[in-house]
Amino acid sequence: MDWEGIFGNLSPASFFNFSFLGEYGKYLLQAIGYTLLLAVVSVLLAILPALLLAIMRLSKNKLVKGISGAYIALFRSTPLLVQLSIIYFGLFGAVRIPNNWQLFGFIPMSRFIPGVVALALNSSAYVAEIFRGGILAVDIGQTEAARSLGLPAWASMKLVVLPQAIKNVLPALANEIVTMVKESSICSTLGMAELMFAAKTVAGATYITLAPYTVAALIYFCINYPASKAIEAVERRMRRGDKR
Amino acid sequence: MVTNDELIRVVDVKKEYNHGEIKALNGCSLTVHKGEVVAMCGPSGSGKSTLLRCLNMLEVPTSGHIYFDGVDLADKNVDINLHRRKMGMVFQHFNLFPHKTVMQNITLAPVYLKLKTKEEARKKGEELLKRIGLSNKANEYPNMLSGGQKQRIAIVRALAMEPEVMLFDEPTSALDPEMVNEVLDLMRDLAKAGMTMVVVTHEMGFAREVADRVIFMDGGQILEENTPDLLFDSPQHPRLKDFLSKVL
Repeated sequence: MDWEGIFGNLSPASFFNFSFLGEYGKYLLQAIGYTLLLAVVSVLLAILPALLLAIMRLSKNKLVKGISGAYIALFRSTPLLVQLSIIYFGLFGAVRIPNNWQLFGFIPMSRFIPGVVALALNSSAYVAEIFRGGILAVDIGQTEAARSLGLPAWASMKLVVLPQAIKNVLPALANEIVTMVKESSICSTLGMAELMFAAKTVAGATYITLAPYTVAALIYFCINYPASKAIEAVERRMRRGDKR
Repeated sequence: MVTNDELIRVVDVKKEYNHGEIKALNGCSLTVHKGEVVAMCGPSGSGKSTLLRCLNMLEVPTSGHIYFDGVDLADKNVDINLHRRKMGMVFQHFNLFPHKTVMQNITLAPVYLKLKTKEEARKKGEELLKRIGLSNKANEYPNMLSGGQKQRIAIVRALAMEPEVMLFDEPTSALDPEMVNEVLDLMRDLAKAGMTMVVVTHEMGFAREVADRVIFMDGGQILEENTPDLLFDSPQHPRLKDFLSKVL
């Protein structure tokens, strides 16, 4: 498609000067991949620590409860950008990842791993609260029934409460991925070539100052809006199936 | 079928909430013998459910002792899980596991606790389901069942552990009236078969017919304890007289 011919004579400051798409389209597509990978991988990585944090948070032991509470408070009360910077320059300043490791040939691990770790640590604080809500939403009678059969506390958690809790939180978990698709744009500040970074790069290279961001906004929207609508639909269906 | 073998002995159990602000149990003592059926009656909030839940430590008493087979369950060093296996409990709201089929509900604990192999547990489950006429529901999920069916399955789930005593916490209170009898019938059969039972109930007719002993509670205390005939026909305590005049 002749993007240059169609949009070339629009002002560089126009919202709709998409003349760069011919040259940079493939680059932007890669960037979408990068963004999706960051979001999905970090939420998946966050699930286990979040589950641990949630169970710790519900513990009767004050120390265990306190550690989890402190972690959640810390990550929810400081900006993600600050967390990312500290983890990137601090943690991964000490632990070097070789520069030549690449994922799919276009994602350097030396940037991707710190980004994913930071997002996952941040996300685990939020997902922990989702899990905690999900666990508390399971009727206490379920635990009592399991315990009265002689099952130890952790067995009744594992066999009876968690399977019901996880079903309850699946939509919220999917929403966390949607959130992460947006939040991961912050990784652009540390040179991770995800969608926001790509838009910035295109703007810098072509002197088309606005339209690359319009494109980025459109792409983010086209990922997240259908995704959240789909989640809503699934949630509605699950609620219908819950009548018992 | 009352024998002299003591199974449960409760000694001066107190239960307080909010640092003593609310006294749910105010010094209760009680003995249950093997093979005996004990019914606990009393107005709402009298502490009868709390006392029942103390028997298997779902409520931890503030003070006092609960001896089961001679072991003090209120002792913190006792592994309560081992003793709960021998005390089946049935709840007002059934509390079947909704994510498990009927058969899985029944076999979950015996198999997980390695008391039975999967095949043994399954066989036992089929036997029990046959006994209550619900063999065809083995692979259904609880949400497909009526309240009466759910409660009978819940009883069977507890029986699958082969308990020494069954504790019933208002087992028919959440049921539609037409389903009460199927549950009471099953409990009646259990009593006839010699099961030791402690039943918190509002079903006075059932208590009178099946129980060997009836306990009347109010204000966190056991006010009267007698055979059903004596307790219902010649009540002594004024609170009991008042209670019976309202419910009978």
